Amino acid sequence: METIVVYLDNMFASLPKKPELEHLKQELLFGMEEKYHELKRDGKSENEAIGIVISEFGNIEELTAELGIHPVESEQVVKVPVLTEEEAYTYVAARRSWGLWTGIGVFLCACGVALLIGLDTLFENKNTIVADKGSMLGLVGMFMLVAVAVGMFIYSGMKLERFKNLEQGFQLPYALKASLLRSQALYAPTYRLSLITGVCLCVLSPVFIFATSYVNDDFTPYGVVAFLVIAAVAVFLFIYYGNIQGAYTKLLEEPKVTAQKKEEDRFIGAMGAVLWPLATVIFLFTGFVYQRWDVNWAVFPIAGILSGMFSNVYHILKRKNVS
Amino acid sequence: MISSDVIRGYNDTLILYMLLDGESYGYEISKNIRQLTQEKYIMKETTLYSAFTRLEKNGYIESFFQDESLGKRRTYYRITRLGLAYYKEKCEEWKVTQEVVNQFIREW
Repeated sequence: METIVVYLDNMFASLPKKPELEHLKQELLFGMEEKYHELKRDGKSENEAIGIVISEFGNIEELTAELGIHPVESEQVVKVPVLTEEEAYTYVAARRSWGLWTGIGVFLCACGVALLIGLDTLFENKNTIVADKGSMLGLVGMFMLVAVAVGMFIYSGMKLERFKNLEQGFQLPYALKASLLRSQALYAPTYRLSLITGVCLCVLSPVFIFATSYVNDDFTPYGVVAFLVIAAVAVFLFIYYGNIQGAYTKLLEEPKVTAQKKEEDRFIGAMGAVLWPLATVIFLFTGFVYQRWDVNWAVFPIAGILSGMFSNVYHILKRKNVS
Repeated sequence: MISSDVIRGYNDTLILYMLLDGESYGYEISKNIRQLTQEKYIMKETTLYSAFTRLEKNGYIESFFQDESLGKRRTYYRITRLGLAYYKEKCEEWKVTQEVVNQFIREW
């Protein structure tokens, strides 16, 4: 039901805010709601009902032409390339594949760290030679997984490379915009479910650390391993499903927003470029020099929180400047 | 399913017909059209409401609010005398159109 409201909102988004249009939108919503409820009553599934209602909506230009209303054009009309349907959908597919490979890569990195901690603990209580071999095995395993992950990052990054020119701005033909809005609306429930699942996993994951340390302090590292793997699954969900959503958002975002966002993205990108390698250096340094593999993994969650904090502070400062 | 292009000139006639026997509102009209044509023609939402706008502007129909349950306020439409005259005109026009086009239809 919410999907229909969002769809209608999007259809009216580019139109001027006039009382007659608000009234018309309300009337359309009543009609669509009623149709939706009847379809559900006839035994159609949620998706089918929404699909039918949206496909029978028609063409908003038909209405605006009758009312003599024209969509609000942005003041400076810049010459930007018009996106074809094929390009748009290849972009969505590329983002999906990028999300999949990057998600798996991140998951493998986390598994690598988990493997290291796991093996290290497993062989800890044996004699020195075995313990050393265990740590060695863990390290080799971790670096192998990280190497595979880096390969995936590069591979997926290259696939997205050809869409670099989208950053320069683009135009969407009307029919394509409508079809993308429809796809986005149908995708919304999946996205929401994946977000909820991811957040739940994130919230639940530390439970393993507490539980294992409650049972026996020696088991805590295994709790950490479980925590890392569960959190990695959550991160995978965020990256994969977030990227599909991101593709739609990117294609449908207003040109005006793009310029402002570009600056933001640049800042966040620059910050990430410093923060994450730094975290990795600290991780490896404390590991190899001080042998503190047991606690130093915490540098990554901390870096994650810091990166979130920086970007929020940046947003707040930016908004202050505007007002 | 017939395409909306073919029937374009007669959407208004369809809606006026649905109002001949009394007032009605958007969804009811579109539902009745769907049932009457055995789902061979489904009027799109935007087609329906642009027709309402056009018909009201020409004085063929008039709208009024009626409160529904749950605090909803729905717009109802009724046909005017002018609208009835226009409807009859369209019926005549259709008869001629049908005759003309039929001249060019060969039964196979």
